[in-house]
Amino acid sequence: MATERYSFSLTTFSPSGKLVQIEYALAAVAAGAPAVGIKAKDGVVLATEKKHKSILVEEHSIIKVEMITDHIGMVYSGMGPDYRLLVRQARKVAQQYYRTYLEPIPTPQLVQRLAAIMQEYTQSGGVRPFGVSLLICGWDLDRPYLFQCDPSGAYFPWKATAMGKNFINGKTFLEKRYNEDLELDDAVHTAILTLKESFEGQMSSDNIEIGICNSQGFRRLTPAEVQDYLANIA
Amino acid sequence: MCSEVQSAQDYMRDPRKHYFSPYMDNGGTTVAIAGEDFVMVASDTRLSRGFNILSREQGKVFNLTPKTMLASTGCWADVLTLNKVLQARLMMYSHEHHDTMSTTAVAQLLSTMLYWRRFFPYYVSNMLVGLDESGKGVVYHYDPVGHMEKLTFSAAGASVSLIQPFLDNQVGAFNMEGVDPPKMTKELARQLIHDSFVSAAERDINTGDGIIIYTITKDGTAEEKIKLRMD
Repeated sequence: MATERYSFSLTTFSPSGKLVQIEYALAAVAAGAPAVGIKAKDGVVLATEKKHKSILVEEHSIIKVEMITDHIGMVYSGMGPDYRLLVRQARKVAQQYYRTYLEPIPTPQLVQRLAAIMQEYTQSGGVRPFGVSLLICGWDLDRPYLFQCDPSGAYFPWKATAMGKNFINGKTFLEKRYNEDLELDDAVHTAILTLKESFEGQMSSDNIEIGICNSQGFRRLTPAEVQDYLANIA
Repeated sequence: MCSEVQSAQDYMRDPRKHYFSPYMDNGGTTVAIAGEDFVMVASDTRLSRGFNILSREQGKVFNLTPKTMLASTGCWADVLTLNKVLQARLMMYSHEHHDTMSTTAVAQLLSTMLYWRRFFPYYVSNMLVGLDESGKGVVYHYDPVGHMEKLTFSAAGASVSLIQPFLDNQVGAFNMEGVDPPKMTKELARQLIHDSFVSAAERDINTGDGIIIYTITKDGTAEEKIKLRMD
C-alpha cells in the first residue's frame, strides 16, 4: 500500500540539532498576516489584519477570529487551511472535555491538548507540521488567559504578543506600551495601534477583525464597535 | 452457595446444567442525605455471599477528594476495581490540572466511566456525595450503567427498597398534604440514617453488623461507627 512508504516522519533532525521543517513552518507564520493579543486586568483582546487580495473578495464571509467555546477564542498567523483544521479539533476537544466532566474546559487544558496535537504532526509518518501559530484567549475562574501555540507544539503564556509579518516591531511596540493596569478598552486601543504599525493603507472595520474575552465570555466585535475604536485613534 | 459455578440456589438448579456467572452479589446498603452546607453518607459493614457472611467490618464508602466520597455496593470485585480506576483517573486529572476535581466533575466522569462498560457492566450501585463548588451538599445516585440523578437524599444497595420509601416520606415529604420537608440538620440526618439501618437490619439478611457514618463539611470529614444486630 502507498501509505506504508510514509510510515517515517518527514520532520527529521539536522546535524546542528534543529528540526528544519519546524523552522520553515515558523517562516510561513512570520510571512502571514499580523495578529496581536493583549491581556488586560478584566479581559483579553485578539486582533488581526484581514487584507483581501482582490476587491472582488466577499469580505464578511471569511472569519479569522473564531470562538472555540463560550469562554475561549482563537486567532492565527500563517496558513488559513491549517488553521481551519485546528479550530475544528479545538472545538471537538472542548466538547469531549465537557462530555467527561460537565465543566467548561479550562483554557490551559485546551492549550495543552491542542499543542499536543500540533506536536504529533512533527513526529508522525507522512505529515508536515502545521503552518500556523495560534493565539488563544480565555476567561475561567475569574481570570484572563492568553497563550501562543507554535508549529513545534510549544506553547507560551503571554501578557501581550504579536505574530506574523513585522512581529518583532510589534513586540517592541507592545513592550513599551504594555502595563499591568490596562483595562480591556485600553487593550483594544493598544492592539489596534500595534496592528497599525505594520498596516499598509487605511484601516477600517472591513479589513481588521477584533475579538474580546471577559467575564461574559468570548465574542467578536461588531463592525460598528470596531469603527468606534478606529474613530478614537484617528 | 457457590456463585462461581452456578447462580441459582442448591435446591433450584438443574444438576445437568452448568452456567458461569461473572457476577456475585455481596450485599451491603448505603444511605446519603445532603444539607445546606454538609452531606452525610453511611454504609453498613456486612459483606455477604448468599446465606454466608464474608466480613462484619467492611465499610463501603471510599474517599475520593477532601470534598467528595463514593458509596458503592453490589459485586465487591467490581466495587474495588471501579474505585481503583476512579482513583487513578482522579490522580491523572490532578496531574494535568494542578488542582483536585470538583464534585460535579467527578460525578460526570463516573457516569461516563460506567457507560463505557455498557455491554459488560460494573455490577455496582453507586452514590457519589460531596460539596459542590458553592459549598452545598449534593448526592448523585447512579444505576449500574451510569444513569445519574442529582438528589438531596438517596439509598442504594440490598435494602434500598426498604429504606428509600422511608426517606421519601421523612426527608422529602412526598405526596403528603400540608406537610413541608424538614430543614435538614446534621442531627436529623444522623437520626434518620440510624433509624434506616436499624429497620433494614431487622428484615434484610444482607444488611447488619454495623454502620459507618461520614459527615463532609468544608472543615473536613468526621466518622462515626454504630453497632447493629449481628444476626
